[in-house]
Amino acid sequence: MKSKAKVQYLVSLAVSVLLALVLGGVIMALTGHDPLEGYSALITGALGTKRGLGNTLAKTATLCLTGLATAVAAKAGIFNVGGEGQLYLGAIASAYVGAKLAGLSPWIGIPLCLLAAMAAGGVYAVVPAILKVKLKVSEVITTIMLNSAAIYFCSYLANGPLKTAEKGVSAGTDAIDKSFMFSKLIKMSSLTESIFIAAFIALFVWYLMSRTTIGYEMQLTGQNSRFARYSGIKSDKLAIGSMVLSGAICGLVGMFEVFGQHGRFIESVSKDFYFDGMLVAMIMHYKPFGIILMSFFFGILQIGSTAMESRVGISSELILIVQSIIIFFMAAEEGILASIQAQKIKRNSAARIAKEATEK
Amino acid sequence: MSETIVSFKHVSMQFPGVLANDDVSLDIHKGEVFALVGENGAGKSTLMKILYGLNEPTTGQVFVKGEEMKTFSPSTSIAHGIGMVHQHFMLVPSFTVAQNIVMCGEPRRHRFFYDFDKANQITNELVREYGLQVNPTDRVQDISVGLQQRVEILKALHHGADILILDEPTAVLTPQETDELFAVIRSIVREKQMSIIIITHKLYEVMEISDRVGVMRQGKLIDVCETKDVNERILASMMVGKDVLLDALERTEQARRQDSAIEVEDLYVTDTRGLPAVRGLSLQVHPGEILGIAGVEGNGQSELIEAITGMCPIQRGTVKIQGKSTKGLTPGKIRQLGLAHVPEDRIATGVAAPADVTDNLLVGKEKAPEFSVAKIHLKRRSIRAYARKLFEKFDIRGAGVDTPVGSLSGGNMQKVVVAREFSYDTPVLIISQPTRGVDIGAMDFIHKQIMDKRNAGCAILLVSADLDELYRLSDRLVAIYEGKITGEFDPKTIDKAELGYYMTGARKEAEA
Repeated sequence: MKSKAKVQYLVSLAVSVLLALVLGGVIMALTGHDPLEGYSALITGALGTKRGLGNTLAKTATLCLTGLATAVAAKAGIFNVGGEGQLYLGAIASAYVGAKLAGLSPWIGIPLCLLAAMAAGGVYAVVPAILKVKLKVSEVITTIMLNSAAIYFCSYLANGPLKTAEKGVSAGTDAIDKSFMFSKLIKMSSLTESIFIAAFIALFVWYLMSRTTIGYEMQLTGQNSRFARYSGIKSDKLAIGSMVLSGAICGLVGMFEVFGQHGRFIESVSKDFYFDGMLVAMIMHYKPFGIILMSFFFGILQIGSTAMESRVGISSELILIVQSIIIFFMAAEEGILASIQAQKIKRNSAARIAKEATEK
Repeated sequence: MSETIVSFKHVSMQFPGVLANDDVSLDIHKGEVFALVGENGAGKSTLMKILYGLNEPTTGQVFVKGEEMKTFSPSTSIAHGIGMVHQHFMLVPSFTVAQNIVMCGEPRRHRFFYDFDKANQITNELVREYGLQVNPTDRVQDISVGLQQRVEILKALHHGADILILDEPTAVLTPQETDELFAVIRSIVREKQMSIIIITHKLYEVMEISDRVGVMRQGKLIDVCETKDVNERILASMMVGKDVLLDALERTEQARRQDSAIEVEDLYVTDTRGLPAVRGLSLQVHPGEILGIAGVEGNGQSELIEAITGMCPIQRGTVKIQGKSTKGLTPGKIRQLGLAHVPEDRIATGVAAPADVTDNLLVGKEKAPEFSVAKIHLKRRSIRAYARKLFEKFDIRGAGVDTPVGSLSGGNMQKVVVAREFSYDTPVLIISQPTRGVDIGAMDFIHKQIMDKRNAGCAILLVSADLDELYRLSDRLVAIYEGKITGEFDPKTIDKAELGYYMTGARKEAEA
């Protein structure tokens, strides 16, 4: 049964992706472009050059971490929509620590910055978690609102108390120590050493969620919290813990942006990175391994789309359409499958009953 | 020969994955009480919901009074004179009895104004006509379940029903209320030539009230008989397709022990609305005995169980498990005192429905050294092997240990709960409604498991709405009414009728 459901899900996913790509091709053709040319430009742009590949992998890491952050909280039954705010706080906290600790050995400085980022994101996530567990306040509402609070708070800090004295920086904090910066693995790309930390975290989250007693208890808490309590599982603690982990991962993503790309906190440190990852996680039903794969696919689409625009002249917005179609199909999956099933049943049973009637 | 009033012709109803009705052809006569029996999931309710217009059959036709039903909706069915009293009543609690009865056709003055006097008058006329006593101005939320059922029936009659479907009408009634209901059914059938279709599990009621009986099994109508030609044993074997032997269970003699494994003293608990539900209740359960709690639902049984197991807070009084107080402990900590719990609502509390059977069987043991390394890393192979073993031992039927529990039938889901809770090997078991909505085969199996636990020396507290079950299993019986114990009995010496008096708070004074 389980494997049948799995196969069905994978088929739905493949069909959704294929249909989305075909529809994307149709739009290309309608706007006077050759779809094959467009897609080949997309593929070579994303994977064909060293720099493109680097950017794709970096994008994959970001999507994957934010996606897993969503999945960790969702596993315990909390829908964390507040990752963007947690990401901002992680970014600014690590940037602050990174600037303050200038001069220290990177071996001490970087771990402290990592801790600062995780602490900032994690602590911020505790607030909605406690409200949810103790007072049953919907986490969707609180996390969305806390996003704005965090983003504007960071904006205030970057324009006010923490604004750098350096000239030429409009709104940003002091630069972190140069020696703390992650070095680029591929020149001119955004791929940095942070990918190793990201890979480690992805592995850790996958292991935690699917192979440990903690993941198991989180799952039961998410599926039926009353059952979890009845069974003696410490469901409140697990729910809060999963939210803290989710927030901590988001904080790290913020830190990677600062320590890999900008060298300081700037207001545009994230462009809805968390929401992109959240969508990936939702499409993949919060399954860690699936999120890793789907992140790579979305990474190719997003990075390849710029190449497609510059080389073939197809607007990169087209990729948004393709993504939206996939999301649409996957969201409607259950309804579509149910109606197909209902039709099939009606036909089969009508045929069977007609056959039995003639036999009599 | 009596006249046919409802006729199903080759009706089939397909739900995703289940053929709920399989080519059912059935005639109901005017002026008869027709009983429809069958195990859970046999398709009785589905068939009646088709008649009431809630389901549209996949194939087949339904004729009412010679006329084919073309569209299926409750309003069409009501127009055809069909009324249905559902298991869960469909009344507005804050409305009065009269308001509920005239709903969807309220009497008015000057077109816009609700005519309350007229509504009360209509109700009083109905009461006189059918002999069903209700007070029109009482609010539905304040009256007993038995009275609410009368309101449902009157409502159907007011809407012109002459074919009345009753879905498990006695499930919530005391023996006395059941007798009254049956008296009413007999009189309206005799005097008004109405047709009544009654869905039930209780075979002795079939024998008592019905003229004819139809037996359903796995969506098929197995047979239709004159009630006088059959007996309970024949019906039961038709229902399950094999002879069911609800024979006496093997009950070993236990030395009378004075120590209490469960000790409840002067317990007060409030329900979710803050109203007192358990009021100064005390009881003890000794090792090696089953104490049965008999009561009409909603008299504090649920709250009592939840208070003992730590699922809801105690207002006053003490609960001791194995001599240790449960004060301030979470359900998990209370379990560690040596208690396991089969909850009354398996879907809400007893399982994680989306999780598979394995996950549901493992819970509570995941940190044991057999199943995890250092309480963290799950040993997946031994977990699977363990789940398979329990799966077979408890004869859980369904696809396998990977199946989501939510897709199992009620009986198999309950076996998962029982298998898990009994596998903890605790000295104390709290069991609530162990076989509610479970078919006879699974019921017998679960009863045997409970008796084995008792014979092995467990102290068992059993709450059930099913008196037969309580009589079959209990060593001692107590009756509960409005949160208090009204009497303690030996199940071998008290009959159901007498117990019924204690369950409704009225003590039998004459014979005392």
